[in-house]
Amino acid sequence: MAILGIPILEDKYPVTMDMWPLEAKEFNRVHQFYENLKAGKFTTTRCRTCGHVAYPPRVICPECYSDELEWVELPKRGRVINFTEEVRGVPLGFESPLIHAWIDLGEGSPIKRILSRVINCPVGKLKEGSEVQLVVFEVPSHPIEVKGGEMRWAERVFFAFEPVEK
Amino acid sequence: MARRACIIAGGMCKWGVREASLVDMVQEAAKECLEDIPGLKPKDIDGFLFASSYAGRCSFQVNTAPVMAERLGLKPTSICARVDVLCAGGSTGILLAKGLVESGMADIVMVAGGEKLYTPQKWEVFYSELASIDHDWDAPHGLGLPPPFFALIAKEHMKHYGTTKEQMAWVSVTNYNYGSENPKAQFQKKLTLEEALGAPPVVPPLTLYDCCPITDGAAAVIIAEESRAKDLTDRPLVYIRGGAQASLHSVSANWPGEHLADWAHLRVAAKRAYESAGVGPEDIDVAQTHDCFSISQIIEVEELGFCKKGEGGSFIESGQTRIGGKIPLNTDGGLLSCGHPFGATGIRQAIEIMRQLQGRARFQVEGAEIGLTHNLSGLNVEHTIVIYGREPK
Ligand SMILES: [Zn+2]
Repeated sequence: MAILGIPILEDKYPVTMDMWPLEAKEFNRVHQFYENLKAGKFTTTRCRTCGHVAYPPRVICPECYSDELEWVELPKRGRVINFTEEVRGVPLGFESPLIHAWIDLGEGSPIKRILSRVINCPVGKLKEGSEVQLVVFEVPSHPIEVKGGEMRWAERVFFAFEPVEK
Repeated sequence: MARRACIIAGGMCKWGVREASLVDMVQEAAKECLEDIPGLKPKDIDGFLFASSYAGRCSFQVNTAPVMAERLGLKPTSICARVDVLCAGGSTGILLAKGLVESGMADIVMVAGGEKLYTPQKWEVFYSELASIDHDWDAPHGLGLPPPFFALIAKEHMKHYGTTKEQMAWVSVTNYNYGSENPKAQFQKKLTLEEALGAPPVVPPLTLYDCCPITDGAAAVIIAEESRAKDLTDRPLVYIRGGAQASLHSVSANWPGEHLADWAHLRVAAKRAYESAGVGPEDIDVAQTHDCFSISQIIEVEELGFCKKGEGGSFIESGQTRIGGKIPLNTDGGLLSCGHPFGATGIRQAIEIMRQLQGRARFQVEGAEIGLTHNLSGLNVEHTIVIYGREPK
């Protein structure tokens, strides 16, 4: 079967239309976040100058504009404050059911709440107060031109949460 | 004497699923806009602001302002720029035009906006929504399409304040009723409470009529300096009294409220907008709130100060947002009925408020002197308010 699409783009991967972040260090100064995810750690940046912890991670401290930042771990477990379950009309790139939860990461966490997709979870299982935990998964690689038109494939991961109780 | 900005004319094309391109629709809207003010010619317009957020993705066109100005026969000499604030782009353009006119930089500015969202394949617009929120931190969670987030907001409002699905349905029924007689609206449909309550689910608790549709459309208004406005029209002048735009966060994890039904960023924007216009919520005679979802309007009437926090549902159910009630809202049908071509929405709202204050609206609020428009934009990350009045501040 012929490849459908814009003829001059045949066999091309349009990275600028990618639904996942460009995580590779050549394109992203917080690529360490994704390296940490690969090691099972949920992290963000803390300012060495004023101590402020910001999420998402960044290159400067949003409080004092210092660029002396370090990586710190965030809790990998939280409790569901509220949630939604989308069964029909799930957007391209996601599977039904598409479940979202507003998650309380606990008093000890510098980041109190996070809105995340919940996976590995059937409709009807999640409740207010359910305990959820971080889950890291692979997402598709994308090509990066290296030299002479050669391609290197950048491997990627992303995260969601899942019920603790299977 | 201080220079003051007035809104003196407006027009829009038919909104809905259009067999037309973005540049086509902007021309239709501009034509209707200039027909609204027969003394004004394209050559008299010295500034042009164009609000559009999806032109880059859905029309493969960036730097859209000169492209549109050329099609419209405009030769701007004070400003020619695009405004990208998604759902609030049009209102932002109006606030910027006010500043340009009052500073003396511009005299007569056209603020236009539009989006072409029905692409040959529907998935492309839905997929492009991944660009409408923080691409790296919220979009990968599947939050590009707004219903899940607003469903979560609705559940939180129900939990904290006892808001009911029936109260949400009353928002849709009321707004659809006004839109049913608006020929430019995407839907001309009288909606009953039974139909609204029996509609198919989108993301529970949201059902079909709780959600505004995907819409093609464009709209345009003219913002002019007061003395030029007086030369051009015999209609009552409508002044842009003030406004504000607040952005306290972008990534959902940094939500500024106590919970998701607590819209602290809207309260901040409202306080500043009222101060800048020298009025309070009790002075507003007619308003346009951003009813992208029924639950949005319920929370907006609370945070804008039209009723107490938590009472938005009963306020709307009891008819207080209809004509004759405390604060008539969305008297042209709102987003729910007119549709929502993002950059054009704030301009449509401005046209309805201008007509209300000039006494020529389809559903007229008798004696309306002060009006307000409100937009939320993105994944509820920014709030924009414009306040208009028959008298200057
Ligand atoms: Zn710092």
